[in-house]
Amino acid sequence: MKTLRIVACLVVLALSVVLVRADIAKPKTTPQENKSLYTSIEVIPDAKATDARLQIRQSTLNDLRAALNGEPGNAALASTITRSSTRTIIAGLLMFLSVSFGGVWLVRAFRSGQGLRRTEKIAAIALIAVATFGAAAIITRGNAGPPPTYRWRNLPTALAGGQSTYGPVILEIVPDDPNSSIGMKLTIPLKKQKPNGEDE
Amino acid sequence: MQEAVELNLTTLVVNKPFEQGKRMFVAALFVCAIASAALAGLLPLQVSIVTVFLFAGPHNWFELRYFITRLPVRFGRSRAFFMTAFIGVASLTVAYISLPLLYRTTGWSYEASLTAIALWNTLLLAWLTTLVFFRSKQKPRSDGAWVIPIAFALCAFNWLAPELFGLMLVYVHPLIALWFLDKHLQRNRPHWVPAYRRSLLLVPLTVGLLVWQLWGTDSLTEDNGLFWRITQHSGAELLPQVSSHLLVSVHLFLEMLHYFVWLLALPLLGPFLIGRKARQNLLARFWELDSLPIARHPRGFPKTVAAMLLVGLAVVLLLWVGFSIDYATTRDVYFTVAIAHVIAEAPFLMKMFQ
Repeated sequence: MKTLRIVACLVVLALSVVLVRADIAKPKTTPQENKSLYTSIEVIPDAKATDARLQIRQSTLNDLRAALNGEPGNAALASTITRSSTRTIIAGLLMFLSVSFGGVWLVRAFRSGQGLRRTEKIAAIALIAVATFGAAAIITRGNAGPPPTYRWRNLPTALAGGQSTYGPVILEIVPDDPNSSIGMKLTIPLKKQKPNGEDE
Repeated sequence: MQEAVELNLTTLVVNKPFEQGKRMFVAALFVCAIASAALAGLLPLQVSIVTVFLFAGPHNWFELRYFITRLPVRFGRSRAFFMTAFIGVASLTVAYISLPLLYRTTGWSYEASLTAIALWNTLLLAWLTTLVFFRSKQKPRSDGAWVIPIAFALCAFNWLAPELFGLMLVYVHPLIALWFLDKHLQRNRPHWVPAYRRSLLLVPLTVGLLVWQLWGTDSLTEDNGLFWRITQHSGAELLPQVSSHLLVSVHLFLEMLHYFVWLLALPLLGPFLIGRKARQNLLARFWELDSLPIARHPRGFPKTVAAMLLVGLAVVLLLWVGFSIDYATTRDVYFTVAIAHVIAEAPFLMKMFQ
């Protein structure tokens, strides 16, 4: 009887779990990612112009179409590096083998008492340099390049002087906003400058 | 004693033109580098079209001739090395040509095509590593183990970004010609080597100048299929944040140096000795079969070599006809098939290392 009661309790508990779906995590609401494209733009102040004009090259438009369709178009350098987990695993494994074999070879070369020959020294230096720079790049994000703000820092001065400014821009397609009738919006990364010229 | 006298005579014969020619050689290198950079920077697309039309075929013929020059009459201890080299060149070329065909016929996904490229690159690296091992076995006190970690590191980079690895080959390949020239001078004109190596500094300086001048320029217009192909070949799609003008110019500059080495420097700076005799004419005559050991040797193959060179000549003419009829398609075909000469350079360069 006691066993039957325990079994009944377990069945009820199991059923309740099924009914309330207690083991299923709350579904994550992933915000839909805006389609974007890395390109460049030139801002040209023109005293003779009567209208503000936005010109887009055919190839850029094609890339934008490709991005909208989810096709591989022109992507930024960073995005050309693997997004495939299989290839990343293989690359990681090979890098591990590289470092392992490199270490064994270095130790063996020094233990043999003959030291390293010229070619081998060059190989060792190249390997250590690649590993060091790679690690430094990962740690310092040195491969990120100068921040996009750098090119735009002199925009106000250039506009005032009637000169053009060229810099990177992200073309982004955003959802329609019922509260706004503005078709396009250009955001320029400008920081306020202190009197001594440094960015705040 | 007689040999010593012969050697001294040869040295006397050789030393005078050595010094005379060295200045002219360095001057020619400077003029070629600066003219190439100027043309590549100003008219990249137009000059690229003309350069490939004129020099692509002939430089391959000269490479073939140069490789035949370096072939021994009998492989001997190098049999394994040469067999691996030839089998590798043939199979990697066939695989490379098959890739675009397979891509079109099987409807691979983008990711699958990247995996296929990565696999091909891995096979290339494995083949190169094997060749280094074979070569190191032939040399006393040589240990080829250092190549393993480098090969694995390159493989890792390749699997992360197979297309960038391929682009790296596109830019590195022209520089290999400069390495060939260095090895060639070490053998035939050792007095010129320091001057040559100093003048090589011009290459990074000129590339730096091109980068400085063209970094912010507008990308080239790709309003027709041919211009699009040229910019794609230089990596415009993989490096969209870099101006395609800069990419095409740098690549074209390096290609022009590559053509200069194969079409002018290496054929003209032939060895001063043919066998044990001093060459009568100081400028090498590339049409003379006597300068090819494999044809000159009593147990050599003069007819086979002559036939190969004639077939090569016919291919060059065919290429010119093809370029005249349909430049864009012939260019595509050429750059696909030309992978053979890119790969074939590796074993012959390795053989030139003492």
